[in-house]
Amino acid sequence: MSGGAGEGRDVGSLVPAGEPVALWDWPVRLVHWSFAIGIGLLWWSAENHRMDLHITVGLIMLGLLVFRVLWGLVGSSTARFAQFVKGPAAVRAYVAGLRGGQPGPFVGHNPLGALSVIALLGVLVLQVGLGVFAQDHDAINSGPLNFLVSYDLAKQISEIHEALFNVILALTALHIAAILYYRIVKRDGLIGPMVSGRRTFTDAVPAPRIAPLWLALVCAAIAAVLALWVSWGLPPFATPFPWDAPAAAAPADYM
Amino acid sequence: MRFLKPAPKLALIAAFLIPATGMSAYAAAKHPAYKLRHDNFELMGRAMKGTFDQFKRPAPNLAVIRANANVLASAATKVKGHFPPGTGPGAGIKTDALPAIWQRPAEFNAAADRLVNATKGLQAAAAGGDMAAIQKAAGAVGASCKSCHDSFRKGRS
Repeated sequence: MSGGAGEGRDVGSLVPAGEPVALWDWPVRLVHWSFAIGIGLLWWSAENHRMDLHITVGLIMLGLLVFRVLWGLVGSSTARFAQFVKGPAAVRAYVAGLRGGQPGPFVGHNPLGALSVIALLGVLVLQVGLGVFAQDHDAINSGPLNFLVSYDLAKQISEIHEALFNVILALTALHIAAILYYRIVKRDGLIGPMVSGRRTFTDAVPAPRIAPLWLALVCAAIAAVLALWVSWGLPPFATPFPWDAPAAAAPADYM
Repeated sequence: MRFLKPAPKLALIAAFLIPATGMSAYAAAKHPAYKLRHDNFELMGRAMKGTFDQFKRPAPNLAVIRANANVLASAATKVKGHFPPGTGPGAGIKTDALPAIWQRPAEFNAAADRLVNATKGLQAAAAGGDMAAIQKAAGAVGASCKSCHDSFRKGRS
């Protein structure tokens, strides 16, 4: 991790008003924009029957989501769920403050935005979780774990997978609407900081603690191994599954 | 859901349920020709999944593969006869079959014949028992399904 303004300061030391604060570390930004591109690609590939591409990008999304959840536990302070997820009282107070004028400052996600982060991550986790079991209408292209479920269950999962995309669309629309609201009504640009990682505040604020590069690499490695593991059809690569009786009388129920 | 009073909540639930019941009523009123071919294709879909599922397992069950290959071979022979004139789109039938089936019958029949041959190939490979040959033959069946869907079935997402 090199570079960010505000870095080199002691953790928690105050950054004077008007000076750039290193707000979002690069893993957060990289994952965020990868989600944006990934969701677009997943939508396009599903619409155009490019299921090979859809499954590949879906597994990359799985890796990104695992990474983001790990990073939310051990990453930089502004990436951590424990730091930004607040109770309903804090959300109400924030909304009241929003009406009054300028709530905050929040160095990182505000309590309302935190709900959006959790909702978006949650629905993406659910969507990828369904996708690995799903199959297309011909049952030719299917997710890597589709073989573990029956045709009928996989069909239901696939229908939910398809319907859930509308929820993703709605949450994405809300996400963009909120960004526009802050830009136009609150005169607060949120896209710039999500690109550069930095922003200034009108008050002196404590510098976020930016996690080291090696930790990001460890999390990325865990995420990649997990995604590959799923893409290979999970656990015991060389040992029979428990339900594969060695002396096989044909169970016709797989059809 | 503190901000939703019971009545609007019920209205919200009803708003989701009414189209659902309407859709299932619509689905029930299907043309017999549609149902015949739909069920046949679904049977083939199940048999394809049943076959390919075995390839993913450390110890593929040859008996299951053979049973599915038999189902595919018998179902494939019926495809050609399942699209009589007057059962295409526009005849009040909800179908993903494209008009091309009836506009270019020779091409469609040739594609259906290729499917029959591919499934016979899978049946023979399954009888032989060589897994590499079975996988190759099953891949050919899948390719046959896909090429016909690309030409003669409405794109679905």
